[in-house]
Amino acid sequence: MNISGLADKTVAICRRDLLTAVRYRSGFLLTAAGAVAELAAFYYLARAIGPGFRPDGLDYFPFLVVGTGFYTFLIMGIHSFLDTVQEAQQTGTLEVLMTTATPPPVMVLLSAMSAFSRQASQFVLYLAAGIMIFRGSLPAPSMAGAFAIFVLSLMIAIAIGMMAAALQLAMQKGSAILWLMGSIAWLMTGTLFPVTTLPKPLRRISEFIPITHALDGMRSALLQGASISTLSREIGILALFCLTLLPLSLVLFSLSLSHARREGTLSCY
Amino acid sequence: MDSIILQSVSKVFHHRPALFNWLGREQGGTTVALDQVSLRVPAGSILALLGPNGSGKTTLLKLISTTLLPDSGRVLVQGADTQVAPQRVRSCVGFAMANERSFFPRLTAQENLDFFAALEDVPRKCRKLRIETTLAHTGLQATTDTLVRKFSSGMYQRLAIARAVIKQPSVLLLDEPTRSLDSGTREDFWCLVRKLAESGTAIVMATHNFEEAAAVGDRVVVLHRGQLAGYRQLGRVAPADLRSFYSQSTGEAGEEYNSESLIESLQ
Repeated sequence: MNISGLADKTVAICRRDLLTAVRYRSGFLLTAAGAVAELAAFYYLARAIGPGFRPDGLDYFPFLVVGTGFYTFLIMGIHSFLDTVQEAQQTGTLEVLMTTATPPPVMVLLSAMSAFSRQASQFVLYLAAGIMIFRGSLPAPSMAGAFAIFVLSLMIAIAIGMMAAALQLAMQKGSAILWLMGSIAWLMTGTLFPVTTLPKPLRRISEFIPITHALDGMRSALLQGASISTLSREIGILALFCLTLLPLSLVLFSLSLSHARREGTLSCY
Repeated sequence: MDSIILQSVSKVFHHRPALFNWLGREQGGTTVALDQVSLRVPAGSILALLGPNGSGKTTLLKLISTTLLPDSGRVLVQGADTQVAPQRVRSCVGFAMANERSFFPRLTAQENLDFFAALEDVPRKCRKLRIETTLAHTGLQATTDTLVRKFSSGMYQRLAIARAVIKQPSVLLLDEPTRSLDSGTREDFWCLVRKLAESGTAIVMATHNFEEAAAVGDRVVVLHRGQLAGYRQLGRVAPADLRSFYSQSTGEAGEEYNSESLIESLQ
């Protein structure tokens, strides 16, 4: 498949998703209202806790905004792979989509990327709204550092997302496992509070969860202006996760798809 | 040249009951969907697949389209093995499934076709014209900009046919393509199928309709309990002859389950 063909398919998928989203009129407004309510809750939570609590030397409100915003972006992105397969199973389009001239992993990847771009724009708006609410001063963010962390985290989310899609194909109930994983990550990756407050055994486990390093790196880049060289540890760890998880996820997805074709469960849900 | 070759193809489905089956009455076991089926479909010919419900017609179509993989035997499409080179197979097969719910309900007919045409590598420069032509051929030109969630069964079926032919496939699979169509549209569709075959497309059509099989098929295969129960070249054959051939092959009467026959029997 050439680049222009890939671009053409990407445009077609994004157009489909945009048209569908626009035609569910209330969906957009409800999502925006939810984000505003969440920001307000965090603002008053930070005020209630007071200025004395400074996780990793940062004000608590921006710590929360970056943590929850980026966590939500990554988790929702991972979910979008599973949702892509689940929705296609439920709407009856999966068998058709898996037998077009577009290879199935590309199809799932492009569909999820379309959802990812929606999540990314929500993350940027969420951050911008959070900065507007926050009245304290912040150092100039390191955009290069944030971009590097963002790209690597995105690759990891894609890999985990492909595994989630494989799980959905294999057992039709992937969302239950993903919900469990999301809850564990919410607790152990430093989304709401620093990992240093966890007991030592849990702290050790959290080091093996890529989201921990993604959140650390993103906070350092956006809230402390850490340069790429300062972020080299986080970047190295995230790159290692990428190199391991990406090929593994493609193999798992292909095996799961082949199993579903053999068992005749492709459109089961 | 044969566009489709099935060599001793078998497919068995395993049903595993739920973990706590004492709560319900789910039946386990295996279903032999296809048993050692071999056949060939030359380019430019139309094969009609007849058989009672559960005889393996849809399974056979799904095996050709790579939706399913065989347990044993080989399926070759334009020389490519469905297990070895599935993507090559997919690029030359169009499949109109019997499932109505296989479109995006919040997109219009034109938008749905545009989406699937992009996935099927239909070149952008000729896509618009091809969509318009296909919608016209399937009688959907008046509903181009209607959301498909408002479609009737017959309109869904026409759109499924449009989607299958838009990529101009060299192999076309049709699963009960005229089940919900009115008689006028059905005859238009038969003309379209014949034209596609004349242009070199190999067509496999599963149907319960003897009139349809006789009108468009070059040859007919009767499947019964997953096995090839009968095979016949069709010249000019009357539907009644086909029905008696079907009965001889399967030992069943071969009633068509449509509203007209039901009303007749009730009267």
